[in-house]
Amino acid sequence: MITKLTKDDLVKFEEKVAETFNAGKIKAPVHLYYGNEEEMIDVFQVIEREDWVLCSWRSHYQCLLKGVPDEELMKEIIEGRSISLCFPEYKIFSSGIAGGILPIATGIALSIKHNGGENRVHCFIGDMTSETGIAHECIKYSHNHDLPIRFIIEDDGKSVCTDTREAWGTDQLTYENNDDPMVVYYRYQNSYPHAGAGVRVQF
Amino acid sequence: MSYFGELKRSMDYLATHPRTIYLGQAVAVPGTAMTTTLKDVPQTKLREMPITEEMQMGITIGLALDGMIPVSIFPRWNFLLLAVNQLVNHLDRMPQISKGGYKPVVIIRTGIGSERPLHPQQQHIGDFTEAFRLMCHHVDIIRLEEPEDIFPAYRKALDREDGRSTLLIEYGDYYNEK
Repeated sequence: MITKLTKDDLVKFEEKVAETFNAGKIKAPVHLYYGNEEEMIDVFQVIEREDWVLCSWRSHYQCLLKGVPDEELMKEIIEGRSISLCFPEYKIFSSGIAGGILPIATGIALSIKHNGGENRVHCFIGDMTSETGIAHECIKYSHNHDLPIRFIIEDDGKSVCTDTREAWGTDQLTYENNDDPMVVYYRYQNSYPHAGAGVRVQF
Repeated sequence: MSYFGELKRSMDYLATHPRTIYLGQAVAVPGTAMTTTLKDVPQTKLREMPITEEMQMGITIGLALDGMIPVSIFPRWNFLLLAVNQLVNHLDRMPQISKGGYKPVVIIRTGIGSERPLHPQQQHIGDFTEAFRLMCHHVDIIRLEEPEDIFPAYRKALDREDGRSTLLIEYGDYYNEK
């Protein structure tokens, strides 16, 4: 594992972001994690320094666990870049567009394979994104071409406020209870809302 | 040299770069007029893709982020429309969202469908150049009007060091007319 961060370290960082946001000091959206610290640390057990990590708009934990110093990360967040955090020196790319990172991650993995590299790609997506057409295309393409990539599905049951299962009319997601070694799935309950930190902030 | 000849010369030139890779539908097998411009590009550089334009454009960006120079081929503007999300929200916005940290160099090739001698009807002859110029700020959009425009445009797209990507538009009708 790249860092020795603990569950408490991660929680405290998000609490600091929440406090800063609620004080009106971040004039851009923030999307916070809570409740998946153990799963996230477990996912990062096999992530190497030279690996790529691609994330959505909720990516503070991944940045910390990939080795971005907390003060550097906080600076970016305060400057309003929480939803698309990019750290080339740590091979991190994030996007605020649902599903946007999936084919980009697939392309990086294709490049690694084409050039005989040994590093891998880890692509973090939410439950609603995992049901999109682009997710199915990219997972199928990566699987069939044996690309060095993992898709990590983080299921908090919601897309903003929309219930993913209800909206799709299903009780079970496509990759829930799957045994595909290319897909990691876990479910958690986030105590933070989709955006912000639960307090109305008047800017 | 003819319009087609300059396109083929450009593709051959791009192929001399060790980091280029061509991807799209009908790049490694016959299928479009563009295919014949790739006939002397080494097969190892040609990546045949399924029909999945958005995925292709995203893969193109990913290849470039990892250091390759993809030549991503969408035979018609009308087909490229399906890749707009990746083109506008990611490739074009990359300098802004990464504060210039990521500078993927991508070459995108598309065309305005030919109308002669066969007219493929309205879903195949679109020209959205001006609309895309309004949407894109960091991708250069070049319409290839004359044969002599072609090679310099592709050479610049390959050799440029400013981190910008290039979208080059060709005319299907000029393959036989110029």
